[in-house]
Amino acid sequence: MNNLSQILLVTILSVMLCACDLSISNSHSSNQNNSGKLNAGAGAPTFEAGDCNANTAGVNWDALMDKNCPRLSDYNLFKLASDPTAQPNSGGVPYDLSVQLFTDYATKYRFVFIPENVKANFNESEVLDFPVGTVLVKTFAMPENTAFRDGPELIIETRLLIHRPHGWVALPYYWNPDDNGTDAELAALGVDIPNMSTIHNGANLAFTYTVPDWTACTSCHAKLSSGVSTFIPIGPKARYLNKDYTYDNSYTVNQLMRWAEGDILEGLPVDTTTVMETIQFNDSLVVSALTNDELNDAAKAYLDINCAHCHRSELTLGEGYSGPAGSSGLQVEYNREYAADPTKFGTCKVAVAGGAVDYPYDVIPTDAARSYLLFRMNTNDPRHRMPELGRATVHQEGVELIEAWINNLPVASCSPQ
Amino acid sequence: MKKIMHASLIIFVTALTLIVSCKVEDGEDGAPGADGAPGQDGNIGDAILTTSGFALPSDAIFIAPNANDGDNITDAINLAIFDAFTAGNSGGTFVLPKGSFVVDDTITITNGNGLTLTGYGINETKLDFTSATSSDDAIRFEGGIDITIRDFGVYEAKKNGIKVVGANGVHITYSATVWEGELNNSNGAYGLYPLNSTNVLIENSFARGSADAGIYVGQSSNIVVRRNVAKENVAGIEIENSFNADVYDNLAIGNTGGILTFDLPGLTQAFGGNVRIFDNQIYANNAENFAGGGAVSIVPPGTGLLVFATSNVEIFHNEFKDNETSSVEIASYFLSDDDVASYVVGDGSGNYEATMANGWSPLVKNVYLHNNTVQRSGGNPRGVLISDIVAGYTLMKGETMPAVLYGGIGQVLDDVGAIAGFGLVPVTSAASERAAAASIDLSYDGYSASEQICASNNFNQNSAADSIDFPDVNIGQVYTFDPTTPDLASDVLQGNTVLAVCTQTRLPIARVTFKSKVYGCAGDDLSAPSCSL
Repeated sequence: MNNLSQILLVTILSVMLCACDLSISNSHSSNQNNSGKLNAGAGAPTFEAGDCNANTAGVNWDALMDKNCPRLSDYNLFKLASDPTAQPNSGGVPYDLSVQLFTDYATKYRFVFIPENVKANFNESEVLDFPVGTVLVKTFAMPENTAFRDGPELIIETRLLIHRPHGWVALPYYWNPDDNGTDAELAALGVDIPNMSTIHNGANLAFTYTVPDWTACTSCHAKLSSGVSTFIPIGPKARYLNKDYTYDNSYTVNQLMRWAEGDILEGLPVDTTTVMETIQFNDSLVVSALTNDELNDAAKAYLDINCAHCHRSELTLGEGYSGPAGSSGLQVEYNREYAADPTKFGTCKVAVAGGAVDYPYDVIPTDAARSYLLFRMNTNDPRHRMPELGRATVHQEGVELIEAWINNLPVASCSPQ
Repeated sequence: MKKIMHASLIIFVTALTLIVSCKVEDGEDGAPGADGAPGQDGNIGDAILTTSGFALPSDAIFIAPNANDGDNITDAINLAIFDAFTAGNSGGTFVLPKGSFVVDDTITITNGNGLTLTGYGINETKLDFTSATSSDDAIRFEGGIDITIRDFGVYEAKKNGIKVVGANGVHITYSATVWEGELNNSNGAYGLYPLNSTNVLIENSFARGSADAGIYVGQSSNIVVRRNVAKENVAGIEIENSFNADVYDNLAIGNTGGILTFDLPGLTQAFGGNVRIFDNQIYANNAENFAGGGAVSIVPPGTGLLVFATSNVEIFHNEFKDNETSSVEIASYFLSDDDVASYVVGDGSGNYEATMANGWSPLVKNVYLHNNTVQRSGGNPRGVLISDIVAGYTLMKGETMPAVLYGGIGQVLDDVGAIAGFGLVPVTSAASERAAAASIDLSYDGYSASEQICASNNFNQNSAADSIDFPDVNIGQVYTFDPTTPDLASDVLQGNTVLAVCTQTRLPIARVTFKSKVYGCAGDDLSAPSCSL
């Protein structure tokens, strides 16, 4: 779809847009100290005009705040510009999630950068309340073989979610092979990468990987109220961060507790056992070995992270707010009780928009094979595929999980007699 | 043709030059324009007009103005949006080029504010999504205030044509969504598709070939749909779970069902109402149902108009011709799901208890059908959903299929107190307020006079010759008022004894407020003939 020369054109034009307002940004010293503060010496935005070419010792906060820089390295987020998977500059903290969005079996490297002297606020149900200046960085890499995620991989793209004074913005950067892995370039128009492949469970998967275009970001990253779409992050919710993480290959500790102790999170309940927590789902989880409760938990967590950024409405999002697919009637947030209204999870619900012959309801308890929701997860036909964006392959393990969940649900009126 | 394009290009270049110089007086602030009178756009005399007469403003953003027919302009569109929005301009006029172009990915526009997306005319600018591989909707607006979509056509979208979700103020005019060729379920779903929006005006537009609804407005309020053509879709025009809609002066032809109003269970906006459908031409909606599934797959081919579980609907001065099953079908949700016992259990576990708590009701109340004309209705009645009913009327009773068919089971059950338990479901205060504001009665205590289905002054328009093939022009009711003897009642259209020959209070006029101007029968169409009916 997208011709690389046109991407470069965007880049050039974007730079021209920015070029009107040149000034030199402050540099920040990046004193490393061992006080335990995770972002000690990280510096912070001055909210003066940023400069993509500023030579900052640490993170180029000012450019992050008001420039869409042509190259990822312009923001100086990592010690090695060529490696977005490790060694963040000060202010950057790696993290992962207990359950993650499926993106064609890609490995994801996540970092949160929080300026010095500000903190995120704890939120029980929604994404943590990150202060202005925060940058969420996620790099997508395709492993040669999904069984060896520490083995060889192709770094594809790095997405930034930046909390600017006027709200969150997303910038996608593409590791163009022409640059030989030295840097990534702003790819506002997205990129289709044919001939992507990985070995999964011994089988070679070949597909076209899509780096989404800039305008597509809000298709997932949004909450809607009357006339207004507000950009929001999705992943870093307490329930997904509430797990152990091994820092620097050396010590292992709960991420939320580390963030709190490291002074980038406040408001974490003293009794951390009260913080919502999900089962950890990954492709090696043996679905058939799960207890009933574990299966329900895993399925709800999976549906939440893969579907509920769109398929959600009100609840803890706020009155009058919904996700981009809040109108569909299918609402599958993790913190929504299934039993309170099974229809919200698709049980015996006719598809409002869409539908397919042979799949009369979204979810037919005990009959996954005729459930439209599972069909949509299990097809690549763009007319029916769910999620709409972000995958060109079927997530076999996700399908297996949701299939088991549907077949294990309590019988409902639309179930086979 | 080439000459015309050339001339407009010159004007375009001139306009660009003006933008670049930045200091040109555009007259907007009341200062004299470049060559215009005070307070007027200086370029008005030279402005490029679309075929519908829309003058492209001098500061319009021209997308790929030099593109040739067949060029892929996906990136040019996305680039224009990216550049404008990242520069803080979310309210510009974006002009798609003249010609027929390939677009192979979804175009998403978020939080447009006064934004216009225009081409050069409904037949002058065509976007062809045939080659899209990763896209679903062709064009999608998310959020936004006072968005204008005009003067272009979207062809062969993979899923939906032009979707607008969560906007306040949507004006779609002289636009088309088309799936060409054979009608089948591989065509896309919705054509023109505003959802979860307020102040929706769709006019002068065209939808063809949708395997769901050609023109669809869902979970919205303050809606005017007028002067459109919906041809050969499963549902021509559909209003779903929406409040305050006026659907008038449209042509619905060759669809499976011409015009539909549905209230479906389980949606965020749980119910709608106050839908007025009037002065439409509803002709020969006889396409076999080619939906791939979903709610519209139940629509019987040959349906002129279908009211399905929506209350407060006024249907008047429509002209029904050549619809082969029934011109008007009115039904409660029990037509689709007759497992009455499963609806409400009482402990919240019934299939519809949660949605009923949000105000949804399976009943259809206060439908007022008046001054419609019917010609050659019921020539080949069919449809899986109503095959028993069709057989009952045509084979057992030996009549022409009723021109107006009322599925009265819901009313019967309500009148005899069989579903009084539904009334015990606690309705949220928000839903109660909304129902009260729209004068919708959510009770289950039998149909009062104001809840009746009324039919009066509807006319048999058959000629003497028509009457040979269509001897009966009837109103029929499935289920008489004695629930122990379900029967297929029928009587003549005018002065029938099946439905109450009564009148209901006229429903309020729907008002669309767009850019501070009121549209519809209480606004710009105040003196239009349709609005005096």
